[in-house]
Amino acid sequence: LPICPSGSVGCQVSLGNLFDRAVKLSHYIHSLSSEMFNEFDERYAQGRGFITKAINGCHTSSLTTPEDKEQAQQIHHEDLLNLVLRVLRAWNDPLLHLVSEVQSIKEAPDTILWKAVEIEEQNKRLLEGMEKIVGQVHPGEIENEVYSRWSGLPSLQMADEDSRLFAFYSLLHCLRRDSHKIDNYLKLLKCRLIHDSNC
Amino acid sequence: QPPGRPELLRCRSPEKETFTCWWKPGSDGGLPTNYTLFYSKEGDKSIYECPDYRTAGPNSCYFDKKHTSLWAIYNITIKATNKMGSNISEPQYVDVTYIVQPDPPVNLSLEVKKQVDGKPCLLLKWYPPPLADVKSGWLTLEYKLRLKPEEGDEWETIFVGQQTQYKLFSLNPGKKYIAQVHCKPDHGEWSEWSSESYIQIPSDIELKDV
Repeated sequence: LPICPSGSVGCQVSLGNLFDRAVKLSHYIHSLSSEMFNEFDERYAQGRGFITKAINGCHTSSLTTPEDKEQAQQIHHEDLLNLVLRVLRAWNDPLLHLVSEVQSIKEAPDTILWKAVEIEEQNKRLLEGMEKIVGQVHPGEIENEVYSRWSGLPSLQMADEDSRLFAFYSLLHCLRRDSHKIDNYLKLLKCRLIHDSNC
Repeated sequence: QPPGRPELLRCRSPEKETFTCWWKPGSDGGLPTNYTLFYSKEGDKSIYECPDYRTAGPNSCYFDKKHTSLWAIYNITIKATNKMGSNISEPQYVDVTYIVQPDPPVNLSLEVKKQVDGKPCLLLKWYPPPLADVKSGWLTLEYKLRLKPEEGDEWETIFVGQQTQYKLFSLNPGKKYIAQVHCKPDHGEWSEWSSESYIQIPSDIELKDV
């Protein structure tokens, strides 16, 4: 039974519980993203040198995110929470298109397609959870703007196969990276806010 | 003769805050040969040299916290140079995010305890590797134990998640046991096994308690 059965009035999930769920989801999403990337890399990218071109290619690069522990610990928790929200939002659109476009890849294994569908779904759930968390931590402060627009759809649909495969590679590379960031930041925030940095 | 081509063997981060790379020299052409590690980092066109050739021993480069960024690709090459010429390794692309392998856990202790209900159990306790910042949540570690009778061959392996102690109830009185523990970050590689710890289960433990 969900802790707060839908429709129940005045029932609120504790912040600790919300974080537990969010961290489970973010861990799961990154694991899937990592598996999907590795599977795609093994099957479609060997020897093509895609990694050299994927550098500096993420649509979320414009979001300034902490790059190491010190930076992550110095940033205020509200700013880090909002940053997580922005990164998650920035992936709504590309994940939606990834699900439809993956099916056009030649002999795309079902496992890649299944993961794309699962990630898209769980990303939405995580975003909902994060909005609840921000709502509790900083009531009245939920931004809705999408900061980094994704314009990669045309490249996923290109006729030239090499270019199209590189577009997929780059997207999956960025998804693996950003999902790891989100997971790392959420685990840090959970320890800070729920366990007083004493996990 | 100019030196042979060096090869970047491996890079590893023990705690997601620093990392080290090791390389294998090629042939030295019979002449004194010098090795230089060059790197560039995603988002920065400049090329830098290894900040520290000493800390991690021969044929290695240690990147301290100041020189370590996550979620960014490092393009790393090694250049071998002697009087006759030089040779450069294949470039390797490294993201510290995906090369995390912690050190083993420490201070594994074993103790036979009697529970409140009088039942005896073997309590195993350990600590995260000292370098790992688990408290702040920067690093999340999971643990696996293994145990076997001293003269036995088969290890019994137990995955215990994030906890740092474990109670075992299936004890054989009079037996001597060996135990080890190792750990893995939430996303990364298992560490080596810890050093072995031993315990002799008292013979006088009443069988009905086991």
